[in-house]
Amino acid sequence: MSAAATTFMAGRMGLDRKRMRGIGLGAIPFLVLLGAWELNTFMGWLKPVYIPPLRAVVDAVFTLQEGCSALGILGMHESCLFTNHILSSLGRVGLGLVVGVPLGIGLGVLAGMSRRLSNAMEPVGVFANAISGIAWVPLAIVWFGVGWFTTLFILLNTVFWLVFFNTLLGVRSVPRTYEHSVLTLGGNRWHIISQVYIPGALPSIVTGVRMGIGFGWRALIAAEMIGGNTGLGFMIFVSANEYKVEEVFLGVLLIGIIWMVTDRIILVPLEKWTIERWGLVWRPS
Amino acid sequence: MTTVSAPAAPARRDRKHPRLHRFLHQGGLELACVLLGGLALWSFLSHVVIPRPDRYLPSPGSVVFSSADMLWKGLLPDFVTNTVWRLLIGSGLGLGVGIPFGILLGLNRTVSDMFYPILNFFQSISGIALLPIVMIWWGTSEQTVIFVILYTVLFPISFNVLVGVRSIPRIYINALRTLGASRLQIARDVILPGALPSIATGARLGIGFGWRAVIAGEMLAGQRGLGWMIFTAQQVDLTAQVILGMTLIGIMWIVLDRYLLRPLEADTIQRWGLVQR
Amino acid sequence: MEGNAVMREKLIVEGLSHHYPDEYTGMDIHALDNVNLKVTEGEFAAVVGPSGCGKTTLLNILAGLLPHKVGSVRVDGHEVKGPGPDRGVVFQEHAILPWRTVERNIGHGLEIQGLPAPERKRRVQEFVDLVGLTGFENRYPHELSGGMKQRVALARTLCANPVVMLMDEPFAAVDAQTRITLQEELNRIAIATRKTILFITHNVDEAAFLGDRCFIFTRRPGKLKATVKINLPRESRVWKNAVADPAFTGARDEILSLVREEVRDDDG
Repeated sequence: MSAAATTFMAGRMGLDRKRMRGIGLGAIPFLVLLGAWELNTFMGWLKPVYIPPLRAVVDAVFTLQEGCSALGILGMHESCLFTNHILSSLGRVGLGLVVGVPLGIGLGVLAGMSRRLSNAMEPVGVFANAISGIAWVPLAIVWFGVGWFTTLFILLNTVFWLVFFNTLLGVRSVPRTYEHSVLTLGGNRWHIISQVYIPGALPSIVTGVRMGIGFGWRALIAAEMIGGNTGLGFMIFVSANEYKVEEVFLGVLLIGIIWMVTDRIILVPLEKWTIERWGLVWRPS
Repeated sequence: MTTVSAPAAPARRDRKHPRLHRFLHQGGLELACVLLGGLALWSFLSHVVIPRPDRYLPSPGSVVFSSADMLWKGLLPDFVTNTVWRLLIGSGLGLGVGIPFGILLGLNRTVSDMFYPILNFFQSISGIALLPIVMIWWGTSEQTVIFVILYTVLFPISFNVLVGVRSIPRIYINALRTLGASRLQIARDVILPGALPSIATGARLGIGFGWRAVIAGEMLAGQRGLGWMIFTAQQVDLTAQVILGMTLIGIMWIVLDRYLLRPLEADTIQRWGLVQR
Repeated sequence: MEGNAVMREKLIVEGLSHHYPDEYTGMDIHALDNVNLKVTEGEFAAVVGPSGCGKTTLLNILAGLLPHKVGSVRVDGHEVKGPGPDRGVVFQEHAILPWRTVERNIGHGLEIQGLPAPERKRRVQEFVDLVGLTGFENRYPHELSGGMKQRVALARTLCANPVVMLMDEPFAAVDAQTRITLQEELNRIAIATRKTILFITHNVDEAAFLGDRCFIFTRRPGKLKATVKINLPRESRVWKNAVADPAFTGARDEILSLVREEVRDDDG
């Protein structure tokens, strides 16, 4: 184990040059793609109605944000169309996490403790997952109408089940001896939940949150297109209907970039950190 | 000193019915309870609580009736086949392009380092988000839906295959080299079997994403499929059809995933996996 | 007459029998059959028996992790109804929490009892020193060797100050060299703390080296077959000398032949 830790440390120190090389290499296809895009505009192969010039995509930001001040962005002033859509999508993700993650962890821990409850909840969850988030949209529209609630419902439905299942699996994978040792030290049920189940399941919970955000983000965009009236998904859908292709490109690129940044900068390091600190530990070497 | 007197020997449980015991042990009882309880709750809500049930929550009976109705008119089989066809064509194309692509990129360390980030980037822009762009290109047509599925399947599979080929231990390739194997022989005897498990995993993931993409694609751009069915039914207030469609989508995915994709993946990994799980 | 006897006998097992249904087949398994034994204050009792003789079932019942329906188990005069801090358990392996440092693992029992931090810290340090882990207080278990992990587990149990200490083959998973060191260390610690200990093992040498008395169990259903007394002063138990001491070798050979009868029966 300590040998693995040492290799890891060494790997981290020696990574800088390797990482620089990786970034440099990885940038090449992106640059080639951007070049081809510019070349297409210059040569006029595909019409701007299909592939807008890069310039137009950048300009779309300013068109959408016309008359918007820095303060207006924070106050979600109506002239700040672009940032308003971003903020409302992100706001829903935030709200979905605040509600869905604790609920998923709570019920996941309970189900992890009780065979009965997990046996009852598992088939429900399997079925809810099988009806992918998007297929819930029509029914959600019937129930909640077009808007905030429908989109939030779709997101919650995705986040909750993924966090729930991963917590359940995490709790089940915690060795029984940990529980027994705390019991024989005089611990009660609450000690076991807070000192054994939750820390023991943490790596798995973080994976669940990461998956939840990943799948949830996709589902949210789709839900906003069909059942929303704000958000990035709604923005690209409306822009497409009005053939404002540069706005669509802007929105799509941003959807990808937002996810990538969140995943690489927050979620992946978080997952690695918990696994390193806790998860790796009890795997038999 | 007091001693606790010994009561009669504890009852010997389920000794004669090991099969029943196993069923109960694996949660059969709870499953039955959930199914029956769920149906009862649904009927109760629909018949007693909800004000306009045919709009907000049609009873199980009316969902069954609407399925019989749609079966009778031949609509349901038509929609199901359309959806399955789209998934098959889209994922077939996605796998057909993605697997060789992933292998080629994975063969060389530098090339794979180069393409890793961009594949990851395209994987994170979901096909569904791309729909509006494709709809500008091709409108609401079959092509649009197929393209979105193809796109959705392509990136997970190539990404997985790339990673799989990369992780084949060099020692296997070197071992064959010292035996005098040609490039083609190495590809056939090491790379392909070595990549098979990740191909299987990538295919399952890709088709899973693809399934979501078909439903979403059909809602926005398709005709006469399950996604289209629930979307249009909602617009004309046929909520029974919406629920029917959702149930079918769920059941079909469970069948596809549990009885086809997962066993296929498990078999491949067991048979070909260089690293036994 | 009774009061005094109860005080002296810290652990009393009377007429203990246990059946349980097999998890998958539902077939009835008869694990323990009318077990009677007593462990007096400060005594080191070893339990030996062939594998599958119900030793672990016995330990789980004594620890309160497994409820018993037939017979009685009393610790310090109180009937065992569930797990409690009066019985500390040292498990085979992997029982210290990987997300707690050495110090926080050892002080876990005191933390559960609600002892204030400064007092806890003082007590923990005492046991860190006792098991020879000074300097490792802030390490995580994955940074320790197998032997050190078991020292942490031992210190954790001692630190909670139980009436009886139950040990379930604690040295089974460490290498032979470390095991010898740990056995001598445990002997030293048992003398220093005067703990009442029930030690389960399948290793005959270990039982004879550590125990004041040794209980030998039959194969399943587990019954007490014999009790062997080891007349070797604890203070003189060092492996180097013990191997040549007739008090040790005699007891060991006696235990060995008793255990082998059971194993041979099993084969036939």
